[in-house]
Amino acid sequence: MESQLLIQALVNGIMLGMVYVLVALGLTLVFSIMEVINFAHGEFYMLGGYTAYYLIAQLGLNYFLTIAAAVVVVGFLGWMIEKLLFRPFRKDLLGAFIVSLGLVWVLQSAAMLAFGSLEKSVPSPFRGVLKVLGIYFSLERLIVTVTAIVLVAALYLFIQFSREGRAMRAVAQDSDAAALQGINVARISSLAFAVGAGLAATAGVLIAPLFFVSPFIGDLPIVKAFIIIILGGMGSIPGALLGGLILGLAEGVGSIFLSIPAVNLLGFVIVMAVLLVRPRGLLGHA
Amino acid sequence: MRDGLDWRRGRIVRIGSGLAVAGILIAFTSIPSTSEAADTLKIGVLGPLSGAAAPWGIALSRGAELRAEELNAAGGLKIAGKAYILKTIPYDHKATAAEAATTTNKLVFEDKVKFIVGNAVGATCDAAQAITEREKVLFTFVCWGTKNVAADKPYSFRELLSQWEVSPPLYAWIREKHPKIRRVALISPNDTSGWDTSTAVKDAAKELGMEVVADEYYERGAKDFYPLLTKILAKKPDLLELAGSTPGEGGLILKQAYELGYRGGKAWVAAFDPTRYIQIAGKEATEGLWTVGAPDLEGTYVSPGVKEFARKYRGKYGEPATMIAVANYAGMDVVTKAMQMAGSLDPDKVLQALVKGKFETVWGPVVIGGKARYGIDRQFLYPFVISEIRDGKTVDISSVAPKELKK
Repeated sequence: MESQLLIQALVNGIMLGMVYVLVALGLTLVFSIMEVINFAHGEFYMLGGYTAYYLIAQLGLNYFLTIAAAVVVVGFLGWMIEKLLFRPFRKDLLGAFIVSLGLVWVLQSAAMLAFGSLEKSVPSPFRGVLKVLGIYFSLERLIVTVTAIVLVAALYLFIQFSREGRAMRAVAQDSDAAALQGINVARISSLAFAVGAGLAATAGVLIAPLFFVSPFIGDLPIVKAFIIIILGGMGSIPGALLGGLILGLAEGVGSIFLSIPAVNLLGFVIVMAVLLVRPRGLLGHA
Repeated sequence: MRDGLDWRRGRIVRIGSGLAVAGILIAFTSIPSTSEAADTLKIGVLGPLSGAAAPWGIALSRGAELRAEELNAAGGLKIAGKAYILKTIPYDHKATAAEAATTTNKLVFEDKVKFIVGNAVGATCDAAQAITEREKVLFTFVCWGTKNVAADKPYSFRELLSQWEVSPPLYAWIREKHPKIRRVALISPNDTSGWDTSTAVKDAAKELGMEVVADEYYERGAKDFYPLLTKILAKKPDLLELAGSTPGEGGLILKQAYELGYRGGKAWVAAFDPTRYIQIAGKEATEGLWTVGAPDLEGTYVSPGVKEFARKYRGKYGEPATMIAVANYAGMDVVTKAMQMAGSLDPDKVLQALVKGKFETVWGPVVIGGKARYGIDRQFLYPFVISEIRDGKTVDISSVAPKELKK
């Protein structure tokens, strides 16, 4: 029984860890390119959730098409927000920090006005439970995990091999040198912001049928995303992946032995321990 | 140097304008106006209007507002030959005790209200009561904290049946109809309301010879219950009790327990708003759930008054009504009727009328009792039903009338 409990906890930890990684990747992408820490990033996740509610629950659209729609809609919103609000604060940590806090309130209040305060549920497109060796696996959780892994791999390939991805890496390394090579830094910043927003929205769509949607669902993933990127190293994509897995597994296994308030502290304790030994995070650059 | 100053000025203007936009939007979500007409009677409403617990505060505010609008449309509240236009003043305390103290101070000292109808979340009631009791402000609420109703808090009334009124009849019914159920596991939020609800259920279950095999708590706002449920289900309970969980949390707990293979008995003493949690959990996961005092507000078993209220609520706000909205609508109804009976707006006189009276409300008859449990009569008592969820619908199976109503 104990080993079943452990495996169940590990599987659960990996699933949630992967979803938080999707949120964390956008956050770390924007930070590496613009040196902006966007506290309103969780609100893109929330907007992804509402996209799922309206397209899946109300219009009956296919789950995977909804993911694509959320990427386009929320990605475009991210693009606009970068142009209008964040561009003047590029490389200005404090200014961007204050604007992003204001943006959290604006987007949450606007969501409450537009969508109402009650939680909205999204019907699960993949109902069912698999029982393997006495352990229960929810089909929808398995699909969420696999989809998240595919998306992380797709982002990695995009950043590594596409023209835009290479431009993003160049800007992250040295924006002045990149500009001298003819890279349009402003356009790349907008694109990074849009990609980040789209990833968070994807996480929102993936999670919406598992939980529910409300104007405040972005609060928790943003905290987890910060833990992940600080743990993995600010601006590092492999670091975000590693950070997400460590956090997910630690919380999953920790929940068997510790009370829930203690599990919530666990992430912060790990971050503090890692920062003491390695201040730039596990895979961060100096 | 000048460039530096211009740059800084520009930056301040940009940050300022960003904050201004945020401020305007926030302001639009709750505007407590202070304008006052000659014969206006101001009634304060507290509650979380933002954050995860916002649905409760919004329901409280809307319940009070609907009753006030009805009374105003009928020419105002007539007390001792004088008509008063009612004006509700809702304040957001964000479900925190510190904000509850600030907003209660504002209501009492700036808006000078003598009546506060509505508040939720136990810890915020404690904070508000520290002021309302001292200032002799009559305060009704739905908080489930056991000590919110007490002999040393004579100005405080609970307008919603609490865990102490509903748990014993529910568990007595389970024990009688399902004698094989002996092992009870509880899961509840980690705060005053959650602990008190679990305590009431544990007392009721132990009294009937049942064994409590798990008693776990989670943080409010949690969405993933797999870890906690995995631990609880390993104890092989016959009954999973969701205690003080909100509809959103409870819906997810039921859904995830089902996914983890749990098919045993399910009970939930605080299962308000079936439409919401059934929507979240789905039909299979809620099948056979026993609840108490929470009929489907638009279903076939509620009083015509509640059904009419639910219809009006949906028409006006575009969302289904909740038990908390009904409770505060009834609370406003009872308090204003007590004002009329007392023929006065003096809280002491209204308090006397409240304790003595029997009020016809949307619930049916309401009396104020509870002395045996709390040492003072400050708990609203009204008839309630034990229900079971079958095929995604609430089905009434037994009705219970508090003995105080029979006198």
